[in-house]
This record gives sequence, C-alpha cells and structure tokens, in this order.
Amino acid sequence: AGPGTMSAPGAAAAGGGRSGSAAEWGGFEDNMQGGGSAVIDMENMDDTSGSSFEDMGEMHQRMKEEEEEEEGEAGAAEEEDGEFLGMKGLRGQLGRQVADQMWQVGKRQASRAFSLYANIDILRPYFDVEPVQVRARLLESMIPVKMINFPQKIAGELYGPLMLVFTLVAILLHGMKTSDTIIREGTLMGTAIGTCFGYWLGVSSFIYFLAYLCNAQITMVQMLSLLGYGLFGHCITLFVTYNIHFHSLFYIFWLGVGGLSTLRMVAVLVSRTVGHTQRLILCGTLAALHMLFLLYLHFAYHKVVEGILDTLEGPNMPPFQRVARDIPVVSNAVLNTTAKAIALTL
Amino acid sequence: FASCPRSQTGDPPPSSAFAPSEMLLSSQSYTGQILQPTYSPSTHLGYADGFDEEPPLLEELGINFEHIWQKTLTVLNPMKPADGSIMNETDLTGPMVFCLALGATLLLAGKVHFGYVYGMSAIGCLAMHALLNLMSVAGVSHGCVASVLGYCLLPMVILSSSAVVFSLQGIPGILLALFIIGWCSLSASKIFTSALAMEGQQLLIAYPCALLYGLFALLTVF
Repeated sequence: AGPGTMSAPGAAAAGGGRSGSAAEWGGFEDNMQGGGSAVIDMENMDDTSGSSFEDMGEMHQRMKEEEEEEEGEAGAAEEEDGEFLGMKGLRGQLGRQVADQMWQVGKRQASRAFSLYANIDILRPYFDVEPVQVRARLLESMIPVKMINFPQKIAGELYGPLMLVFTLVAILLHGMKTSDTIIREGTLMGTAIGTCFGYWLGVSSFIYFLAYLCNAQITMVQMLSLLGYGLFGHCITLFVTYNIHFHSLFYIFWLGVGGLSTLRMVAVLVSRTVGHTQRLILCGTLAALHMLFLLYLHFAYHKVVEGILDTLEGPNMPPFQRVARDIPVVSNAVLNTTAKAIALTL
Repeated sequence: FASCPRSQTGDPPPSSAFAPSEMLLSSQSYTGQILQPTYSPSTHLGYADGFDEEPPLLEELGINFEHIWQKTLTVLNPMKPADGSIMNETDLTGPMVFCLALGATLLLAGKVHFGYVYGMSAIGCLAMHALLNLMSVAGVSHGCVASVLGYCLLPMVILSSSAVVFSLQGIPGILLALFIIGWCSLSASKIFTSALAMEGQQLLIAYPCALLYGLFALLTVF
C-alpha cells in the first residue's frame, strides 16, 4: 500500500511533468523551436535522443520508475508518451536503444576494471613499515650472517626493495647524464628503468625457479625482498664510482661492497637449502649474476671520457670504441678541454 | 510536525532531477526556510532572469585565490605545520600555473622540455597515488595527489630560474639542487602525512617524493 500510494502521486507528477515540462521549462522550449539562436544545444533538444551518457544514467533511473508506474496506469500516460515520441519519430527511439546498450556495456567494463584495480590491495601488507625498520634492514643487508645451519628469517617487505630499485634508476640516469652517454635506440629513462626493473624482477623469478628445483625454502616475495635489498651495495658502489673515476677504486668497491651484499644473500639462501649440490647451483648462480650485473652497470652506462666525442667524428677518424681504458690520474675537466681542443683543430 | 519536513523535503528531489545544478544548489542553501510553511518553491524557478543570480565566474570554476595563496605559503615554509583540511578540495589551477612556470623558466635557459615536464608529472602522480594508497589506511584520490605534488613543485621553479643566471653544473649548482630537492620533498611529505594521518612515516613518504623531484632537478640541471 505504501509504495503504491507513493508511486501514484509520482506518476501524476511525472505525467504532469511531461506535459507540464513545456510550461515549466519555458526556456528550453524556446531554444528548441526558436529560430533566433544559431547554436543548438543537443543535450536539451530531445528528451529521448540520449546523446550523453550522463543523461542515459538518469534516464535509466527514470525508466525504472516509469516501468513500475506504467503497469498500474491507464493508457492516458501512454498516449501522451506516444504523442511526445511521435514528434521526434523513430530515430529518437533507435538512438536511445543504442545508447542504452552502450551504457550497459560501458558500465560493465568499468566495474570489471575497477575490481581488477582493487586487487592491488593484496600488496598492502608488504608496504606496512616504519622508517627504523627500513634503516635496520638496509644495514643488515651488508652483513653476512654466520649461522647457516638453520633457516634465516627474511622480511617479506616490498617498500625497501622498490625504493632501492628506483634509487638505482636515478643513479644510472645521473651517471648517464654526467657522462653524456648517447642511447641511439630508445630513451635514457626507458633504458634505465628497463634495466633495473628487468634485473630485479627477472633475476628474482629465475632464482625462485632454481630454488623450486633445488628444494629451497623461499617464497617469491621473500626472494624479491632479498634481491632488492642486495641492490643496496650496487647503489653505493655506483654512486661513488660514477663521481670519482678511478678504475682501481671501482674494483675495490666491486669486490668489497658488492661482495659483502652477495655474501649475505648467499648465506641466507644456503641456510634455507639442503644438500651440497643444490646449494652450489643456487648460490653460484646468484653470486655470478649479482656481481656481473654490477660490472655491467659500471661499464655500459658510464662512458669514461677519454678521447674524442662521437659527434665530432670525422671521415678519417677510427670508429669510437665504447670500452673503458685505463687513464692516467688527471682531472676530468683537463681531459674534457684537451679533447675539445684536439677536436677543434682537426 | 515531525512528518512535515520529511514530506516537504521528499518532494523537491524527484521533480528537480533534471533541474540545472544552480537550482539544486539554491534549494539546498534554503534548507532553513523549507521548514517554514510560507516557503514557496517558485522563487528559484526564475530561469530567465538567472543572469543576476549566477555565481561569479571564478567561484563557478572553483578557483579560490585565498586558498591558493594559503597553500603556496604552506609549501614555501616547510617548517610550518600544515592544516590537513586544506587539501580536501582538489585544486589544479595552482599546479598548472607552476608547471607552466617551470616550463617557461626552462625555456628561458634554452631548453624546450614542456613535454618532459608534463609526462614526468603524470607518471609521478600515478606512481605516488599507488604508493600512498598502499601505505595509508584511508585512500587518496588522484586529484589530491596531483594537487599536492604540483604545489610542491614551486621551489623547483626557483631552481630553474636560477639556472638562467648561472650554470648549475658545478659544485654550488649541485648543492643548490640538493637543497631544493630536500625542500620540495619535505613540504610534500609534510602535507601528505598531515592529510592522511600517517605520523612517523614522513621519511618514508619523503624519499619517493625526493626521487621524483630529483628527476625534475636532473631535467633542470642538465
């Protein structure tokens, strides 16, 4: 009884609204039929054209209410409706149906995409950290553990590793910019991001796969976390050696700092693996990949300026080789000015 | 009496479903008078003479100079505690102006990097939005993140305008760049932590902001 009595005045209002709409919204009628204005407002012209999705949404609401009302009503309202539609003809109705379908499909796709996005919440517990914890883990990543007889705890956290990967990207970019490295196919940013994220995700997956083969007790998140924190040594080494260009210094940092972080990762993995062959395979692979990556980053992304730049290549110049050579201990500025002076005289 | 206001407030919404937003706003602002029996709903239907009753253009566009100035002052003084409620409204005019100013000062230094500025801002906003949603209990919207990050870009404009006068590729330039990066990221993290109630995690928010502003500094310096 309640909804019925409520819908009746609503229907009257809606029916009255249709015929009375001309009276109430006098402004719109004038716009539609007045010959004075050259600009036609599509949205307000035709109630049934459904040319915008917002209107479709509201129309949906109104249609649902109308459907409930029309069943209980006589044909008076229908006649009025028919009359109203008759003015615009079949085209309005067809357009309305097409727009209606598009609205439905769009709504379904949007809600599906939204629920997919909401899945990012499964990563939420891995970002719940305090600054003190992050600092402690950073320092711990350089200290190899001694006890390898029972499984070492690995923090399954993704904030620290993610920030370290981004830091490595920033350091690479800085190194490429200071050394005027020219990347011929691609952009500097794309190369840096691709290299760092590719290493982190790719090598983690590969080692996780090997760990699965060698029966090691480690999960994917833990592996990501372990390798991410292992990049801390890489960040320090590259930050120092991109600014101070001594080869011997780089090798000392490579072995010292790189070696320490590799030893830590190896020790943790060894503590979680049983069997000598498996330990050897797993840790050998990880150590080799980690140390070689640092070597690669140093030599591929920071060209040591020692001679003529690429752009000043003349026809009788030998092809410039991007291989670092041992240079005497001279300051970078002297080298640059010497190189430019030689190039200018040629 | 108790049912009176309910039936009266229940009436306007169905019929005003297609009313222009101006009428809706004015009917909501008259809630005090709805309870009085002398209220006539015909006072807000004068659409033909609505020109005098339209709100001023700036108010309609949502540009509030007082708020913009307040937010700019908050950014410029990182030591001043931020009011968490000022970031409730998404205001993108200030950030747009600052991005354009950054592009213009870079142009003065001979670098046409408008595309890079916009691209890095867009990707940075997306990344920060994802990170903040993962780290905070209450979520943030894209507009809020874009607004905060855009406002805190103001010190970077100072850096790029100083790059016009002298080259930043020496030690003093690097130090100035580091100082400006620290300033930007401190302001941004201060506003984020006060708006999202994430005390104790300010450093964790400041670091990604520092990386993002470091990219802008890289663009400015080199």
